[in-house]
Amino acid sequence: MSFTITCPICGKRNIYEFRFGGEDRGPRPFKNEANPEEWYDYIHARSNPAGVQPEMWFHRDGCGVWFAIERDTTTNQEVEKEGGDS
Amino acid sequence: MGAKIKKMWADAPLKKSYEAVIIGGGVHGLAAAYFLARDHGLTDVAVIERRYIGFGGSGRNTTIVRANQRSKQNVPLYDEGLKLWPVLIKELDYNLMFFNSGNLNLAHSEGGLNGMRLAVSTAQFMNVGSQLLTPKECKELVPLLDISDRPTWPVQGGMYHPPGGTLRHDAVVWGLAKGAYARGVHIHQGLEAKAIKLEDGKVAGVETDRGFISTPRVLNAAGGYSPQVSAMVGIKLPIHVITLQAMVSEPLKPFLNTLFSSGEYHVYANQSLRGEIVTGAHMDPWPTYTTDSSAYFIKHQAEALVQLMPALKGTKFMRLWAGLTDMTPDMAPILDGNDHVPGYYMDCGWGYFGFKSGPISGRYMAKFMVDGEPPDMLKPFTLRRYENNRFLGEIATPVYYGPWN
Amino acid sequence: MSRLPASPTQRVDRSKVLSFSYMSEPRQGFEGDTLATALYDQGIRIFSRSFKYHRPRGLYSLDDESSTTMMTVNGIPNVRAESTPLREGMKVMAQNVKGSPEFDLMAVGEKFDGFMPPGFYYKRFHKPYKYWPFFQERLRAAAGLGKILPEFPEDYYENVYFNAEVCVVGGGPAGMAAALAAAESGLRVILLEARPYLGGFYDWRTVKEDGTQPLYERGRELAAQVAKTENIRVFTSTALTGFYANNHLTARQKGLPNDRFVERYMEVRAGSVVVAAGCLERPLIFEHNERPGIMQANTAVRLIRTYGILPGQRAVLAVGHDLGLEAALDLASAGMDVAAVADSRPQGQDESLVAALEKKGITFLPGFTASQANGVKRVSGVALTDLQSGSAKSFNCDILVAMAGLSPNNAPLAMAKAKIVYDPETGYFLAREMPPHVHTAGRIMGLCGGAEIEASGRLAGLRAASESGPDLTVALKEAQEALAGLPGPKGGSTILRSPGPGKKAFVCFDEDVAVKDIGYAAEEGFNTIELSKRYVTAGMGPSQSFLPGVNFPQLLADYLGKEPGSIPATTTRSPFYPTLMATFAGPNHHMSKKTPLDASQKDLGGIFRVVGVWERARYFSPDLDTTEEVKAVRTGVGMIDVSTLGKFRLHGPDSLKALQRMYVSDMSKMVKGKLKYSAMCNEDGCVIDDGVATKIGENDYYFTTATARAGQTVEWFRYHTRHDGWDFNLVNMTDGLGAINVAGPKSREVLAKVTDEDVSNEAVPYMAYREIKLKGGIPARLLRVGFVGEMGFELHVPSSWTQAAWDLLWEAGQEFGVKPFALEAQACLRLDKGHAIIGTDTELRLNLHDLGLSFLLKQDKDIDYTVGVAALNLAEKQEGRLKAVGFKTDVMKALPMDGSIIVNDGEIRGHVTSCRLSYALQRTVGLAFVEDKYSAEGSKLEIWHEGLESKEPLIATVTKPPFYDPKGDRLKM
Repeated sequence: MSFTITCPICGKRNIYEFRFGGEDRGPRPFKNEANPEEWYDYIHARSNPAGVQPEMWFHRDGCGVWFAIERDTTTNQEVEKEGGDS
Repeated sequence: MGAKIKKMWADAPLKKSYEAVIIGGGVHGLAAAYFLARDHGLTDVAVIERRYIGFGGSGRNTTIVRANQRSKQNVPLYDEGLKLWPVLIKELDYNLMFFNSGNLNLAHSEGGLNGMRLAVSTAQFMNVGSQLLTPKECKELVPLLDISDRPTWPVQGGMYHPPGGTLRHDAVVWGLAKGAYARGVHIHQGLEAKAIKLEDGKVAGVETDRGFISTPRVLNAAGGYSPQVSAMVGIKLPIHVITLQAMVSEPLKPFLNTLFSSGEYHVYANQSLRGEIVTGAHMDPWPTYTTDSSAYFIKHQAEALVQLMPALKGTKFMRLWAGLTDMTPDMAPILDGNDHVPGYYMDCGWGYFGFKSGPISGRYMAKFMVDGEPPDMLKPFTLRRYENNRFLGEIATPVYYGPWN
Repeated sequence: MSRLPASPTQRVDRSKVLSFSYMSEPRQGFEGDTLATALYDQGIRIFSRSFKYHRPRGLYSLDDESSTTMMTVNGIPNVRAESTPLREGMKVMAQNVKGSPEFDLMAVGEKFDGFMPPGFYYKRFHKPYKYWPFFQERLRAAAGLGKILPEFPEDYYENVYFNAEVCVVGGGPAGMAAALAAAESGLRVILLEARPYLGGFYDWRTVKEDGTQPLYERGRELAAQVAKTENIRVFTSTALTGFYANNHLTARQKGLPNDRFVERYMEVRAGSVVVAAGCLERPLIFEHNERPGIMQANTAVRLIRTYGILPGQRAVLAVGHDLGLEAALDLASAGMDVAAVADSRPQGQDESLVAALEKKGITFLPGFTASQANGVKRVSGVALTDLQSGSAKSFNCDILVAMAGLSPNNAPLAMAKAKIVYDPETGYFLAREMPPHVHTAGRIMGLCGGAEIEASGRLAGLRAASESGPDLTVALKEAQEALAGLPGPKGGSTILRSPGPGKKAFVCFDEDVAVKDIGYAAEEGFNTIELSKRYVTAGMGPSQSFLPGVNFPQLLADYLGKEPGSIPATTTRSPFYPTLMATFAGPNHHMSKKTPLDASQKDLGGIFRVVGVWERARYFSPDLDTTEEVKAVRTGVGMIDVSTLGKFRLHGPDSLKALQRMYVSDMSKMVKGKLKYSAMCNEDGCVIDDGVATKIGENDYYFTTATARAGQTVEWFRYHTRHDGWDFNLVNMTDGLGAINVAGPKSREVLAKVTDEDVSNEAVPYMAYREIKLKGGIPARLLRVGFVGEMGFELHVPSSWTQAAWDLLWEAGQEFGVKPFALEAQACLRLDKGHAIIGTDTELRLNLHDLGLSFLLKQDKDIDYTVGVAALNLAEKQEGRLKAVGFKTDVMKALPMDGSIIVNDGEIRGHVTSCRLSYALQRTVGLAFVEDKYSAEGSKLEIWHEGLESKEPLIATVTKPPFYDPKGDRLKM
């Protein structure tokens, strides 16, 4: 589990420098009003894929940026982006 | 040599239909199967397990049992669960190696002690043995504990739960499998559920890698894989699957009679009947289906343990492993069914409490599956509590698995 | 000490005699000895007793593959004598014996219970259940090996972390060749070797494979080259303990006498890794295959060649690899009488070795293997059986060298997730698909001869180096061609077990697991390798999977009638070598943050606690009584260090949008010079933070957060605006600004003395914000707040000035009897006002409405969404929720404790979150959560807490706070 991921600013770093930010579910589909089902679906329901998941990470012990990566939950390997330095 | 040896279980032919299909051959699934047969005479039951029985959390847990939970909804369930072990040992005729070591939780702050007062008061009110201890009393139970000012977070007191202890986790799986098998339940190892088939919105059967099984009832008891089973009927769960790691030291002669733990240090430790120190607790917060361990974890455990018990410096870690936990946002399980999809039942979201609750929850889920209505004991644990914004009070502060908290 | 004459392969220094004691008797050895070789030289043959049957165990291996030499050294249990360098003054005791290893009273168990089937304890001892505790204690007493040392010595254990382009695991010929090749490009190379010296299996071998140079000389030549290559860092006595993802390695290094550490924990992050971990000897399984005197081939040879010790007088060898035949010649040339050599392979041996055996007149029995060892405390003889005909020959001996063959040491590769498959050609499990940037070299690939081993090392080293950038096309091509011209992998015997009942033919020595147990378990239903492992417990003892290795899955496959290699080995788990917690922990790494006022608060008698990341004063009286502190604030003036408060500046064009997103109130109404109180919620509407904010300029804001939130606020803001692309900059100023709160009726007078500015009520009214200068030009942000319920001034001062500001105020406060106060007093004071502390008086289940803070919620629907408001809108009208309430106890000074439960109508309805005897009111007030039907003002709450003999509750009345100064006059004076 001591894998690395790639910060868009700082490059490849030890996973423990980052804070996990959950599945990347995109912008909120509602504002201050929602029905219980759609609220639950965005706030608490998880896709939990066994495979590639888009997710948010925060470079806590680094530059302090939130960024999205794709990671395979069955291998913990980041999906390498084209042209990235990872 | 085969003739003299009594089989505890054996492969059964895969039938085309069963009265109930249970997905997941761990403690929960096997217990549900056992109690369907024992309490309700429903023996036409298949337990299907992708790997081997006890592969998941049932074979990779703390082995700790206790009933000093925080909320009034949880305590009675766990208390009944605790009282069920001796009954099972007798009934299954299998020694589950219950070691009644008691559980000692350490507090390292005034706030921590206050939190314990709530749990202890709740337990005592519900007639569950639990008491607050001074640091000196903690040391009487755990003589090698350092109660001086040396640790970063000195011990300020503790919560002692005498009825708690540990069992041999594998024996629980095997004992339940033995009991279920003896009552006619089919245990299919190496059989994977691929899909759940619905007809008119109701459960009609399970598609497996060895063909279709028709059944009116399916129980999702898949532990860390429960969100994926749930997805087969289109229900997204509020579950976060992360690994919990644990490790054992080399065996030593008995010196630790009481299991101790500390929330502040993120550590628990007990000495198994084999003499090993079993310890764990830190969790990496990102979801994963690997059971990889991490270097960080061993170091963290060692740093924490040698502060609380400096003598442990001289013991060696021997083996480290990881298992999946199905964490919910309020650290309480989802025991629900026959609601979103008729015939579909869920016994999941146990996080790292799944072992201690296995048999009792299986027993109630069995009743639920026969009646189609939840027993009172399970009513607080609905899935809809999340959309209704009504968390159960098992934890006071948010768990930091992500910035949504 | 009667050693063989000195020879160039030996690694003991006979000029340095070391004294130690064993079982309290004085003993001697040489520097360079391990504890086990010194004991062996001293005539010790039984090193330990086994865990289950207390069978005598001798010296079997020298590299921690077995745990037969575990002893207690200087009080520390479970020390492996076979790999522990001998040190002057060691006090060595056997463990888990009654008496001595030689005469162990606990060994009688085996006589009465010759066969304890696997899992026997699950089937016994619980009938009747009441006797279980008795048996449980017996089992516990029997379990465990050494005894814990209650006072572990305060020695130095270290942690070190390295980065390298290439890390090579294994300092044998392949590893050294790899390191040298990788180093040619000038990269940083790290070479890890578990033994105290480089050389691998060359180190003791005198064979001249190339016809001129003995292998040990070649080994030392390579080691010398490595030593003089500056960009190779060599760590000997350093065993790899883990191989984690992305080439993250962990290792354990044992300190030498001159090292400042006893042991150290090492992490290496490597660009590429070459695994050259060699082979282990695969144990031969036959009846009584672990009697003292039975040992691995390399153990017998190294006793002679490395340590100068003759293992015994008369040897028999039962082997399955050419290395075993070479060992027979070594034993004979050292002066042992070699009675017979059985080789389970009917043919295929190296002909020159067979000829050499013949030349020496040694009986050579191809197609034979050992089927039973005789003798109990020492091996006294062996039956060698013809695998074809089943006929047996008996030989007397005092040393029996037993090796089924070799087995690649795949643990690091398995953990690295290489795909390891059975190769029917060699009978080895070999790594086939490698993870990225991981390479293998040498014997682990099944190679046999030195030339190909070194060539494979060179190739792997070049490949690893090339991954870090250098163009090595030409060198790689040459190395590839060189290797291609040499012999490929070559196996040995694939024998699994010799004929026999298998009752005492051990697969796992640690747990006394015999061949028969595997079949027995399979019959019961434990027919997968994982179930079998857990049930028979093979490989679960201190030496883990080293001995059961591939024998165990192969035996299970054999029993179940499956193809060889069809069952993979069980998961490899770290640490590969059990490692002390002291080593993993190293020195205490914990560092708490200290406030700029830390020293002065301690000088004033502060009693500190570590709270989150900070060290903070909690009390100022040794008896933890806060009366004096509280009295000072209520009647005069008190000062508290509140530097830990989160302090933030937010500026940029989209700052207001960000504030509106995070705070539940309408933040657009803020004006300069005035503070606004508000709260932030999470998505569930649960309050996670509260504080004050103000506008300090155009698109420029300053706000405070709770101490606990300070570290997360930046990521919180950025997370919740991640899709918006807003232009704002949030600066965490917490550590840059210290903070002092001066509170009490005399606070203004104190403040007036330290500043020339007007601090009158008119100039600085309640909830005002000013930027002022204190005397001496100290800049300060002045916040007039009233958390403790009195007139009060919070000063945020640059950290380097904070102590000076404190000193000024302290000096000025003397005439008013100023006192310091700390967290506990602050908690009492705010309770008079009914102010909740987020995290103490709130929890996950409670939202903003439940806390009675709905008035904070903005009403303007045009503002884009605010985190938590959707949930709050959904929950607004819900019934049956918990509500936060204030209460007074009906008995004036009753003191229910925090965490007490509220039990109304026979059920738990809530609990007390904070409760104190108010100094100002002289009665008990508190905050609680309670089900909404009991939350109306005037409701009676029945409070009950642990330890009460009777269930007689304490009665309290729900009372709307504030309890003290309800109109807030004292804040506004």
